[in-house]
Amino acid sequence: MPEFLKGNYKVDATIEDKADAADSTDEFEKKALSRLGGSICFVSKKSLIWQGEAATRPASQGTPGNDDKAKTDGAGTKDSQRA
Amino acid sequence: MELGRKIASALEAATFERVAAVGLANAERNRPRIIRSVLELAETPLGAGDVAIVVGAGPSLQRRRSLERLRVSGFAGTVVAADGALGACLRAGVMPHVVVSVDPHPERIVRWFGDPTLTAAPADDYFRRQEMDPVHRDDELAANRALLKLVDAYGPKIKVAAATSAAPAVVERCEQARMELYWWNPMYDDYDQPGSLSRRLWEMNGLPCLNGGGNVGTAAWVLTHAVLGKRRIGLVGMDFGYAPGTPYEKTQYYPELLQLLGGRFAEAYTQVPNPHVGETWFCDPAYLWFRDVFLATAREADCETFNCTEGGILFGDGIEFTPLEEFLTRAER
Repeated sequence: MPEFLKGNYKVDATIEDKADAADSTDEFEKKALSRLGGSICFVSKKSLIWQGEAATRPASQGTPGNDDKAKTDGAGTKDSQRA
Repeated sequence: MELGRKIASALEAATFERVAAVGLANAERNRPRIIRSVLELAETPLGAGDVAIVVGAGPSLQRRRSLERLRVSGFAGTVVAADGALGACLRAGVMPHVVVSVDPHPERIVRWFGDPTLTAAPADDYFRRQEMDPVHRDDELAANRALLKLVDAYGPKIKVAAATSAAPAVVERCEQARMELYWWNPMYDDYDQPGSLSRRLWEMNGLPCLNGGGNVGTAAWVLTHAVLGKRRIGLVGMDFGYAPGTPYEKTQYYPELLQLLGGRFAEAYTQVPNPHVGETWFCDPAYLWFRDVFLATAREADCETFNCTEGGILFGDGIEFTPLEEFLTRAER
């Protein structure tokens, strides 16, 4: 398991693997569907670019002295969400 | 609801299942190699003006000889290519300013850059079956050798916008070919939600997250607009579908659809009449999803998008379907 995915705490509850889960129809369909997916995620209703908490402007606005680019808030502002 | 549409509606979640774990693992492995953010590309001299061409790897590239026509035109704007189109670009004499790579697959994607380790045709028939670059179908080894030479020759002049999800083999190959790497994170989930992976990734490496739209071609368009700030973007090779007459066996997801649906696999394909070219193309559920996502995104984006692919299924509100030369003429104004 990648380090990134590991938790940094322990839980009290015991989690039991259901032996037949992997054979279930739902599991099969889930696995099969995952093979039909794309190469990168799409997140509905979120902006095209997110630069973290500190940045509220799209990357294109970072180019100094370009007023036209500064108007591209549809591209990247954190709050510009699609319908 | 028809079957293709029903499957397509499940692919936003399915794609997360497919790429999140391996993409995040690759982000960890790539971490020591990350020097530049993709945001630096916006401050790097590329093509002239606010106009750009995004090159996808669809079959129209060959059918319409889009790249040869682009080269002849002397287009001065920025050229951004999906990794699958890099070979076609270089063979046609078009050197992209930026190549975008996303897919975390451990073995396949490096082939688009030429795989130095390939010594025999692999058991995986992906490159013999795919429709994106037919050069690889007939003689995989010869095609790979030719691509190695081209990328070695032109690599130092090409910048790579690499997602942190990219396979380490791709990163090594780009470095070997002296291509400059500019990094970004794929957006995996809603960064405003508690426990968001996108947020944790950003906290780990500080790179911007791009909402990729399901595929590298759409990710290239997102980058061209949202990072490079281009306002007029032409698309070539962005078919999101298969040309009339393409056998099902030669489509990208055929083995998976066959396994999932058995004898009903053909029901998963959707026929799409394209009124702009007078042809009926068809697509599998993934391409249908890519199309829906692209159209929804393009409608809201603050840029003009011109589909100069002259084929495929990508048309609708938010996109102007136009011949390549017409776009190039307007781009000069």
